[in-house]
Amino acid sequence: YPSPMTPMTPITPATPASESSGIVPQLQNIVSTVNLGCKLDLKTIALRARNAEYNPKRFAAVIMRIREPRTTALIFSSGKMVCTGAKSEEQSRLAARKYARVVQKLGFPAKFLDFKIQNMVGSCDVKFPIRLEGLVLTHQQFSSYEPELFPGLIYRMIKPRIVLLIFVSGKVVLTGAKVRAEI
Amino acid sequence: MPGGGHCPDCGSTELVEDSHYSQSQLVCSDCGCVVTEGVLTTTFSDEGNLREVTYSRSTGENDQVSRSQQRGLRRVRDLCRVLQLPSTFEDTAVAYYQQAYRHSGIRAARLQKKEVLVGCCVLITCRQHNWPLTMGTVCALLYADLDVFSGTYMQIVKLLGLDVPSLCLADLVKTYCSSFRLFQASPSVPPKYVEDKEKMLSRTLQLVELADETWLVTGRRPLPVITAATFLAWQSLQPSHRLTCSLARFCKLANVDLPYPASSRLQELLSVLLRMAERLAWLQVLKLDKRSVVKHIGDLLQHRHTLVRKAFRDGTAEMEAGEKELRERCQGPEQGKEEVASSSLDLPEGKRPASPTPLLPPCMLKPPKRICPPPPVSTVTGDENISDSEIEQYLRTPQEIKDFEKAQAARQAARSVSNPP
Repeated sequence: YPSPMTPMTPITPATPASESSGIVPQLQNIVSTVNLGCKLDLKTIALRARNAEYNPKRFAAVIMRIREPRTTALIFSSGKMVCTGAKSEEQSRLAARKYARVVQKLGFPAKFLDFKIQNMVGSCDVKFPIRLEGLVLTHQQFSSYEPELFPGLIYRMIKPRIVLLIFVSGKVVLTGAKVRAEI
Repeated sequence: MPGGGHCPDCGSTELVEDSHYSQSQLVCSDCGCVVTEGVLTTTFSDEGNLREVTYSRSTGENDQVSRSQQRGLRRVRDLCRVLQLPSTFEDTAVAYYQQAYRHSGIRAARLQKKEVLVGCCVLITCRQHNWPLTMGTVCALLYADLDVFSGTYMQIVKLLGLDVPSLCLADLVKTYCSSFRLFQASPSVPPKYVEDKEKMLSRTLQLVELADETWLVTGRRPLPVITAATFLAWQSLQPSHRLTCSLARFCKLANVDLPYPASSRLQELLSVLLRMAERLAWLQVLKLDKRSVVKHIGDLLQHRHTLVRKAFRDGTAEMEAGEKELRERCQGPEQGKEEVASSSLDLPEGKRPASPTPLLPPCMLKPPKRICPPPPVSTVTGDENISDSEIEQYLRTPQEIKDFEKAQAARQAARSVSNPP
């Protein structure tokens, strides 16, 4: 009869690599999407909002910016919106809500449906130089290093599914994560 | 093929079922005679079952090689011939092009992309055979932009799931150096500038290896490093006559393009050589500079392994210590910039170096442009209340809207005046 102190099977806690090395990537950018749930007239929005840019010949969406959290949004006539530039998931959500409120105040019945974080970008520094030519040999199936095109090595991790840009200086950019734990 | 069929013309049994666009046919593959045909006319009820099919969805596309693909395959062969590649390379490159063409994304791509694809297939073939072909050369031959090439190359490697080995530096040195027109006297090359090919190749290779070891190659384009190394090798073989020749003039004489970063690589390589010279007993007293060190490159290369070990030490620990110092110093506002910059390179001016410099890539040796303060911890939950006043700051007042509309109308009027219909 197993006592609560001694589990039957040993539990191996999933220690993410960052915890074991002491290096925590800093979030730099979050991209999220939300559905405002109604069709929008972009010309009206561009006319009546101070912080909006609309160039239909260049791009079929209104580009709107707010100061706090400092972010940019792309608002489409279908009612869908992309929010970029936030430094955390919570900030992205707050920013998206503010954009939705602006659209509401402009006279549209905007809702806040299906908010989803689409991409998270982080960066960190391992503080030692990296021989990229060596790394591409030992991890050939995940790495792509073409110094003629780009100074960094592109490492496509399978699990979690994220892409790392590794530079000779030891600086690393991580992208493609949908949740914080992946980074 | 199927039993019993004979061609009425040549008697061959090699009859092929050719299910073409609208009509099936039995054709002799030897002489091309059409043995039987499917029904040419259809009844009204039959036609009701037929549907219009676009060419791209028909079987015709699978059987025939489209004109666009044929053109592409011809371009692949042409490129292989221009580059004087072995014939086996041609077949491999053609196979890659055909493989790429099976993907609808490639079939529907613009002609510019298809043209670049030709270069990609040839480049991948060369890389897999360790033939040193650079992307720069391919782009120059195809009059293509490196950016466009880059996108297509990365896409095709991923699409075909290919393993492309890295460019072999040693082979590239041999090929590239051999292209320098310095091995025979000519009207543009004075006799004192002529050099023995083998000597130059061997010395250039050693210099490139030295550059690689001292972090000057990783993350950088390979060719400029090789250009700088070739120049130094050439100069050092007869310094008395060649020190006056600049890198630009050297490339012009040798009939080779000077890549823009080569001068920067040259300076970095000379710095490395100077550091090494400081560790060589009979050179320490000479107080060498970037010009005079060239005369001693032969000696330095001969003892390069020992000298690199002595001249440089493991940079990692030093870097961390330096950064800590930096952060502590920057907390005091009275610190000057000069102190910050010299923290990791503690070399007293004009004296014998007290300690070796860290062996790090140049990007890690430069002082950071600005110290990034750690970001303030965010306490945002995402569910905060949003005040009306905050949102209203982003809305135009009715007056502003009127002004904006007026300005827009005026701009429209001005445009229609300057561009009469």
